Amino acid sequence: MGAESAPSRRILIVDDDRALRLALSTLLADAGHRIESAGDGPEALALLHDRPFDIVFLDIGLPSMSGLDLLARARALATPPLVIMMTADDTPQSLVEAVKRQAYRYIRKPFPPNSIIEVVNDVAGPSVALSFEVVSARPEWLELVAPCTLEMADRIQSFVMHLEAKLTEDVREAVAQAFRELLMNAIEWGGKLDPNRKVRISCVRTKKMLLYRIADPGEGFDIEGLRHAAISNPEHDPIRHLVVREEKGLRPGGFGLAMTRSLVDELIYNEARNEVLFVKYLE
Amino acid sequence: MSSRLKIVESRAGDVTVLRLTGRLELEDGDLVFRDHVNGLIAEGRVKIVLDLNDVTRIDSAGIGMLVSKYLSTQNRGGTIKLLHLTRRSDHLMDITRLATVFEIFDQEEDAVRSFEPTIPQQ
Repeated sequence: MGAESAPSRRILIVDDDRALRLALSTLLADAGHRIESAGDGPEALALLHDRPFDIVFLDIGLPSMSGLDLLARARALATPPLVIMMTADDTPQSLVEAVKRQAYRYIRKPFPPNSIIEVVNDVAGPSVALSFEVVSARPEWLELVAPCTLEMADRIQSFVMHLEAKLTEDVREAVAQAFRELLMNAIEWGGKLDPNRKVRISCVRTKKMLLYRIADPGEGFDIEGLRHAAISNPEHDPIRHLVVREEKGLRPGGFGLAMTRSLVDELIYNEARNEVLFVKYLE
Repeated sequence: MSSRLKIVESRAGDVTVLRLTGRLELEDGDLVFRDHVNGLIAEGRVKIVLDLNDVTRIDSAGIGMLVSKYLSTQNRGGTIKLLHLTRRSDHLMDITRLATVFEIFDQEEDAVRSFEPTIPQQ
């Protein structure tokens, strides 16, 4: 028993590095996908106008037309492909520009081959790839309003963690885990996994701290009524809440808040508890 | 979205070793893991070692599923023991206090051998 295989995709690889184009083409063709490639923006644009693609791997630093400009033109097509930006550029500005233009994912070079296969496997299908609204696209203040789907949670987490690429590994892991747990709570419980409902996410960076705020469309919750969460367990019985979850017909889980409390420096809910913020101080 | 968890199974007597590779997260690995363990339980194979060395990400739902299947095997006279925790999953076991629930091993042979009945000393 193992992972399900992903469906075959029509993929366009756009990079002026011939060796990288060839390596990616071989890797993805071996994984069962149909591949074409282009070495610059005009050649890629001609291909995109000629036939539909499901996914485009697009280098930001192209000659003659920037990858970000090509991203905007690709997304304006009648049947836009999902565009995965690739770059060796380490500045957060290029990331937020890619987010603003509705990139699907953002991958920093060099990348392990498995990450390419993984990102293609992540794609549920262009027809269900929803857009998010960009309220603020500054590296110091990224704010998005996004539909409540699991796929969107993965996308947003990927963007936010790339924004914080220069953190130490420990801080990055703690922030990534805490952010994911709170975002999943917002999307699953507050948003009921309904793509018509929206979650609002703000990521603010100051010199001394990172602050993340997540507002979900639900009615909030009563923390005293959280017997199905690990934070309500007595000290000697860290899994008692799973019995309550089974009685209530809830899926196994309930460790998110307990984990988050241990991973961040401040965790604050509003009165209704449908908005949460957490802070991680930087040394 | 296809699952990003792979499970490779090997057997040593009545002990089953499952090597997990990839993500053990909500609707991404947790259900593949549940179904695999449920299949083993249906066969009566309830002594399980989970090798977590190559689990790249695990979330609350993944941890919840681990505990849920731990309880399922315990209810049938077996258990699940953990092997090769990464630094990250080791930290998660600590902060959720699950390190007090699961037996955790660094060596596979020690984990498998721990299922052998012990002879009480005279």
